[in-house]
Amino acid sequence: MSVLEGKELRVVGFLCNWCSYGGADTAGVGRFTQPTDLRIIRVPCSGRINPLFVMKALVGGADGVLVSGCHPRDCHYAEGNYYARRRLEVLKGLLPVLGIDPRRFEYTWVSASEGQRWQHVVETFTAQIHALGPAQPFAGASRPADRHRPDAAAV
Amino acid sequence: MSIQDELKSAIKAALPDLSCVIGWGAGPEPLRAAPLFIRGEADLQNFSAGFLSVNNPALYLPALKGSKVGVVAKGCDARSVGQLATETLIIREEVHVIGYPCEGVIDVDKVAAALAGVCEPGEVGALREDGDNVALDTPKGEVRLAKKDIAADKCGRCIFPNAENADVFVGIRRAPTVVEDAYADIAAFEARGTEELKAFWEKEMSRCIRCYACRNACPLCVCRDHCIAASREPHWIGQTDDVPDKLFFQVIHAVHLSGRCTGCGECERACPLGIPVLKLKRALSRRVENLFGYKAGIATGTPPLLTFNIEESTIKERDW
Amino acid sequence: MSADTVKKFISFDALPGFLARVAETGTVYAPRREGGAVVYRPLKPGDAPELGARPTESCKHVVFPRSETLFSFDLKAERPALTESPEPGPAVVFGALSCDARGFLAFDPVYNGSGTGGSARDTYYLRRRSRTLLVVKACKSALNTCFCNWVGGGPASPQGADVLAVETEQGLVLDILSEQGAAFAESLPAASEAQAGAALAAVKAVEDSLPGAAELSAAPAALASLFSSAEFWKNESAHCLYCGACTYLCPTCYCFNITDESDGLSGVRLRSWDNCMSPLFTLEASGHNPRPNKADRLKNRVGHKFSYYPSLHAGRFSCCGCGRCIKSCPSSVDIRKIVLDAVKEAANV
Repeated sequence: MSVLEGKELRVVGFLCNWCSYGGADTAGVGRFTQPTDLRIIRVPCSGRINPLFVMKALVGGADGVLVSGCHPRDCHYAEGNYYARRRLEVLKGLLPVLGIDPRRFEYTWVSASEGQRWQHVVETFTAQIHALGPAQPFAGASRPADRHRPDAAAV
Repeated sequence: MSIQDELKSAIKAALPDLSCVIGWGAGPEPLRAAPLFIRGEADLQNFSAGFLSVNNPALYLPALKGSKVGVVAKGCDARSVGQLATETLIIREEVHVIGYPCEGVIDVDKVAAALAGVCEPGEVGALREDGDNVALDTPKGEVRLAKKDIAADKCGRCIFPNAENADVFVGIRRAPTVVEDAYADIAAFEARGTEELKAFWEKEMSRCIRCYACRNACPLCVCRDHCIAASREPHWIGQTDDVPDKLFFQVIHAVHLSGRCTGCGECERACPLGIPVLKLKRALSRRVENLFGYKAGIATGTPPLLTFNIEESTIKERDW
Repeated sequence: MSADTVKKFISFDALPGFLARVAETGTVYAPRREGGAVVYRPLKPGDAPELGARPTESCKHVVFPRSETLFSFDLKAERPALTESPEPGPAVVFGALSCDARGFLAFDPVYNGSGTGGSARDTYYLRRRSRTLLVVKACKSALNTCFCNWVGGGPASPQGADVLAVETEQGLVLDILSEQGAAFAESLPAASEAQAGAALAAVKAVEDSLPGAAELSAAPAALASLFSSAEFWKNESAHCLYCGACTYLCPTCYCFNITDESDGLSGVRLRSWDNCMSPLFTLEASGHNPRPNKADRLKNRVGHKFSYYPSLHAGRFSCCGCGRCIKSCPSSVDIRKIVLDAVKEAANV
């Protein structure tokens, strides 16, 4: 068990395979220490990220969601991140009216060589989520991992 | 000639080339009309358009793609037609749009509120239109209400009362209620803060019975029998009666309508439990308008989420 | 229904206190206005039920929840574990409509085994049904969409109810119709002759206000004969949206689906409402759907209620005439019109 048990929050990261996942790898190889709250889900391209991925995580009780792809003009598939940028920018308009703090979601660009930038992004975003504290799940749901546990108290 | 007669003759003139014309006819009770499929001149006697014409006939168009169909359209209905055509979900040339100046449509929930202490809307024996007012026969006598007080919210912020893209327009064009939809309702709603709004949706969605009337009444919800809400793999939504599952469906609907929703409000009107689900779509429409200056159903050209600029002048990215 | 029971009386002032005492031993559901709708909600102790509000939904979910956990499972442990869901507690629906109570009479033969010679008894349904007391409040008026009298009911029908409450000026006159109902009202005083008389007059007034009932005896055969009339059903269903509002608001629609909701190796098995207007209702694993369009599905819905069900259950319609499917239909589909059209159409063929 991690020493952070109970202190760690659940931050979901959607990272594109070609740049940001590589950037996170570079950060690891370079031994840049980072908070361990982030759970990375690797996707082919930021253009693959359905805004509903983000929403599913947030409505399901994630404390934060971070999306990272290739820098504009640098997409492995030429233009996936351009579509992602528009979709995710629009999505930001939904969070506050739904009752979710919009600061729980961010998107950014990190290239495969930017290990240090990756460390900075993770540190900054994790600190932001910690400042907000754990997200209160919507009534009727407990935290995702507890959700269907038989011993979980029914609300 | 009255608008009714003008509309009837416009329909009559168009009918020979069309498989049907969709409009409105008498409904199951005095406050509610029903969508009417006019297939021959005989059906015309049941036709009327006006304050009770709440249903959006554009809803039926994608399923009729491939045949020539007419619709009688309010301004908001015509926007749905426009958006469906922009997205090539219908072929515009196959649809004959007959427009008329819409003066707003009834919101039965508002009638219920206005009649509190008198009777339920379902006890109204007859409705008579009288200029800007309606007269209702109730068990406790006649009640007169101003149309503007019982018109749908969307009518109070209507910028397109006349079917803008109509093939035939009858009557005299009306001035819009407002020049610009400022989304003041959404701004005020958002200002209540995330904590309060979370509690708001928890309460509202707890009533949801998952009938999906909101989805099925939406003219832009064209997936129909293949909605991802029904998918078990991927498992977007569980079968519980819990708020997160029910709310997530609203998220799906709103997200899938971003940049597409024309604000016809049929989702919210269709909800039998009165859940204000249009708010989520309007929040996204506001965002799309602010970012890309795009008004769904009016603008032509590629919808904003199907294209991009390499430099986005309106998107201010976070500086880490 | 027995003549030896006396009528009871409770004043409006005493009602919140009385129901708070009832709530000590079980959940009391009562109509409550929320948003533009009226729903059955657990009554907070001390609150008065909103008896003037006619519920948008039926109270079937008290006995047949929208989604019910049948059991939970955990396959991670060394020995896979199944845990039964807890026994439901007693419940009282206070202020049910007469049509709501009659709705359960359409459920019962399907779930209590009487239709199968006792072989298919549904424990989950029956344990809630036996623990739910139905206090019906007689309607004071009929809506345009009401047609309970077409299908054997009435605004103050005692069928299916444990207690029938009739509103008079000072309070409710309670007609005790079952043993459980008698236990419920035991502590209440008997109604005076004047109070009982006022209740009778109130019932008569609303019964007299109802328009006459249509004759439906030809409906089962008519609908059966139109099974293959595609054109008829296409026309009747043209404006239907095929959402599930009619089905889910209906006091007699009893169909369900069973699914597992799991996170990895643990989860729950749920039984949740299903509706025949949805394409998934009949979608087969092969991809074939025997009811591919809304005309087929609406035909099934109407046919089931007014033809197939009566042919299996002694002629009883699987419809209590509450009219919610008409009142809340977003596209104004009127089941009365469809049934009458069918009778007319079949007579013409």
